[in-house]
Amino acid sequence: MSSDVIFEAVNLRKQFGALAAVDGVSIQVRRGSLHAIIGPNGAGKTTLFNLMSGNLKPTSGRVLFNGRDITREPVHRTIHFGIGRSFQITNIFPSLTVFENIRLAAQALGRDNFKFWRSATHFTRYEARTWEVIEQVGLTARAHTAARTLPHGDQRKLELGVILAPDPEVLMLDEPTAGMASEQVPELIALIQQIQKTGDKTIMLVEHNMNVVMNVSDTITVMHMGKVLAEGAPAAIAANPAVQTAYLGGLYTLSF
Amino acid sequence: MTANLSPSLWRRWRGLLITLAAALLLPFVVGLLEGQPPTAVLANSAGVSKFVQGLAIEVFIFALYALSYDLIFGITGLLSFGHAMFFAVGAYLTGALIKSFGLPLWQTLIWVTFASVLQALLFSVVLPRVKGITFALVTLGMASVFHLMIMSRELGEFTGADVGLQGMIKPDFLNPATERLRLYYVALALLVTMYYLFKRFVDSPTGRVCVAIRENEGRALMLGYNTFRFKLAALLLSSFAAALAGALYAIYQPIISPHIASLGFTVTALLIILIGGVGTLQGALVGALVYRLLDFGLRRYMGESASFVNGLIYVLIVIFLPYGIVGTWRMKSLQLRQGWAKIGDAIPWKPNDGAAR
Ligand SMILES: Nc1ncnc2c1ncn2[C@@H]1O[C@H](COP(=O)(O)OP(=O)(O)OP(=O)(O)O)[C@@H](O)[C@H]1O
Ligand SMILES: [Mg+2]
Repeated sequence: MSSDVIFEAVNLRKQFGALAAVDGVSIQVRRGSLHAIIGPNGAGKTTLFNLMSGNLKPTSGRVLFNGRDITREPVHRTIHFGIGRSFQITNIFPSLTVFENIRLAAQALGRDNFKFWRSATHFTRYEARTWEVIEQVGLTARAHTAARTLPHGDQRKLELGVILAPDPEVLMLDEPTAGMASEQVPELIALIQQIQKTGDKTIMLVEHNMNVVMNVSDTITVMHMGKVLAEGAPAAIAANPAVQTAYLGGLYTLSF
Repeated sequence: MTANLSPSLWRRWRGLLITLAAALLLPFVVGLLEGQPPTAVLANSAGVSKFVQGLAIEVFIFALYALSYDLIFGITGLLSFGHAMFFAVGAYLTGALIKSFGLPLWQTLIWVTFASVLQALLFSVVLPRVKGITFALVTLGMASVFHLMIMSRELGEFTGADVGLQGMIKPDFLNPATERLRLYYVALALLVTMYYLFKRFVDSPTGRVCVAIRENEGRALMLGYNTFRFKLAALLLSSFAAALAGALYAIYQPIISPHIASLGFTVTALLIILIGGVGTLQGALVGALVYRLLDFGLRRYMGESASFVNGLIYVLIVIFLPYGIVGTWRMKSLQLRQGWAKIGDAIPWKPNDGAAR
């Protein structure tokens, strides 16, 4: 059972002054599953992600990856363990082209980062990987566009492409569809599902769109005010009265 | 593929090759214009050519110095207010080792290289802790300490304190009075070599990461880059180039002025790359030329009001060419040839673009 768990938070706490944004959260993400984290605004979902991806250090608690304690590892190690992380607010290299944004992601895990006497174009394997990913996220026609001039929806695709490039085992997606035009959402979700199924990936997903969450998740963790309110399969979560209350009290309503 | 490789290589390098050819011929062309035969130019006899060579050497020194600043600020995004120290250490060390310790030039240059590594390490010590404007202030602090040391009476024996370091015996084969033409070509060769090295660096996997750090360091970290190492690499290369520029300055100038260790001299580097185009490398060359010639021309023809007009021109350049001369030019030619944009190449950048995120 325990080798089934790939990524784990043990009693994580993060204190911002008086506010415990994450307040004793433990979750176990099973290998190969799509594990959604939901909860009203300010529930602590992004903070939990930040703690698990190494962007923030917890006040207390531990983060385990494949059983190894990675709590105190510097943030640039995260992807080397096999954990890719995308952001709720698009976090890319604005003046660089789509191609270069992804190429940099592809180059990072190789052993060529300090070959400063060679042109980057010499390392064709990273470029090949880049074209693969660009095609996968559907940005081929935009490859040479500066990231900052992309429409928002395409920036979200780029954000996804950037974490696909190094081919991590676990993908942490923080509201990948945030701000996307609603007709673009199904396409992106289909892509995420396809990545999970065909690539045998584990995905952690924060998402506000309940339709999406209920359809794609294997497990759902509901957070509320920094704590885990409920956890289970989609059907169980939908039927959970405490979850209904949390949402009715907040901005979102559960509707399927 | 190979068929169109060489034309694109030519297109890529032609501007520089033409400039280089012009620079190689310059002393003789100027001589001929004045009616001086090439033999007289070769013999370093007095005349317009010799004067122009001197001016050009100064441009090369400024260009190399500004180039070194562009690597850390324009490419890597590290705002240092202490860059003058990188240059001044090279200049003063060269002056003092040759003058007070009688070392030959080659040994002096080894020490300069060594010092350039040390000062880059010194600046990098604070890198993991401070970012942005704080880094600027900390580097300013370190450079100010160095400036004070240069000016102090205790070290005056070696540095000449506030009057500057004078009376260094110039190496015979590079003596700016008797062997100016050779010094001109040596300075040119040094600049070209360093420019080529920098260009290779910026195009390399390492340099690309430096650009990524300038763009968004947090993202670069998330991609798995230990950004400290890349910033250190940029600092080392930058410091080396700046120190060499300083050594060249010490060889060329009759007096090593303490001004080169001041904040004002860091601002000079900043100004040059703002004029030329931040983060373009070529901008450092163009900017240095414009900077030195403007200063020379205005002083000569305008006397008193020169620095006022000078300042005004810089303000106008920065307002109307926000990406500098080279940056703006690249942007325009990119718009003209839309769809052609080179793979992976950075779009011109100006310092506050990043803040728009
Ligand atoms: N760096 C910070 N400093 C102080 N408070 C913070 C910080 N980051 C988050 N918070 C607070 O912690 C709480 C949880 O924020 P978090 O961003 O994790 O919520 P979320 O569940 O991701 O919300 P949303 O659905 O709006 O993205 C909020 O009250 C927020 O204001
Ligand atoms: Mg959030």
